[in-house]
Amino acid sequence: MPTDPKALAYFAAGIGAGLAIMGGGAGIGRLAAAAMDGISRQPAAAGDIRGAMIVAAGLIEGVTFFALVVTILLAIK
Amino acid sequence: MTLLPALLLATALGQTPEGSPGAEPATHETTAQHAEHDAGPAQVLMHHVVDGPVFGFGSKHLVSFVLAALLVLVIVQRAKASYRQGIPSGVGALVESFVVFIRDEIAEKNIGHDGRKFTPLLCSFFFFILVAALFGLVPLPQYAEGEWSFAGVTSTGNLAVTLALACVSFLAQQYAGIARNGWLGHFKHLVPAGMPVFLLPIMIPVEFLGMFTKPFALMVRLFANMLAGHMVITALLMLIPLMSAISVGFGIAIMPVAFGLALFIMLLELLVALIQAYIFTLLTAIFIGMYAHPAH
Repeated sequence: MPTDPKALAYFAAGIGAGLAIMGGGAGIGRLAAAAMDGISRQPAAAGDIRGAMIVAAGLIEGVTFFALVVTILLAIK
Repeated sequence: MTLLPALLLATALGQTPEGSPGAEPATHETTAQHAEHDAGPAQVLMHHVVDGPVFGFGSKHLVSFVLAALLVLVIVQRAKASYRQGIPSGVGALVESFVVFIRDEIAEKNIGHDGRKFTPLLCSFFFFILVAALFGLVPLPQYAEGEWSFAGVTSTGNLAVTLALACVSFLAQQYAGIARNGWLGHFKHLVPAGMPVFLLPIMIPVEFLGMFTKPFALMVRLFANMLAGHMVITALLMLIPLMSAISVGFGIAIMPVAFGLALFIMLLELLVALIQAYIFTLLTAIFIGMYAHPAH
């Protein structure tokens, strides 16, 4: 286990990025699955569902990017 | 002496396909010895996405920001001028479709019957964020600290620019709330009406902080999206000098791969630019609606 703070920061940044994308990917994957279900049940509502899906994906990605900003701060220390 | 490595960096990082086979074999040795950049890949990456001087101005994000704003004004002027007997053509039709979309789907749906009054503000947000993001994808020649380079500059990838946008959004939300409900009414409506008293000590700070965290989230979301996209493009293109430092053959072999990847990411960036502009505008409209017409 390295004790140099810079090395630990890089290490933490790598793990943090992986965890952040795990959460974001899982969330957006669930969102896409629900959207697919909705569109297949009612093709007429496809436009509305698509719009809502894109907005929700943008918001979830925004949260993921919060975590990404923290990892970037660690990585450029 | 500084021109050759600058040319290598420019052709590799600056998305110009012609000229790179000529530049690489002659100059990849000099990059290794060239101490001026202290050129690790991380430093080059940060040098590209972080603010710095250009053309004698102190901040390239400021220059790009002003140019993007001017571009929006020019586009909208051309759109207005293209109206013949109430029917636009060309740029005017494009701008009109966006403005009508913002007015009907975003402003009126989320703010209510008086939503139309906020349409100019929302259109300003939308067009500026979109044009600034697209402007950042175009590689432009820059002259900074004695050398030329070709790169794109995304001004919304700077925390200060998105902070300014979020401040304007915050002021618009507060204005909407206070103009419609008065000073006292605006703050009284922060907590829902039928709330049990023992929850008030929790709800009041939460809602009050919420007034600030919502624009803060807008700021960080836009900033991180633009920054991440630009960093990925730069990192993929940096594969070329990275590989060519190992051997020239690798460098030339990785070139089409890197260009293909970077091109794909740039296409994704186009989509992300549109989506982020839409989300910023939509969320601003939703928050304005929440404060102007609290639904209790």
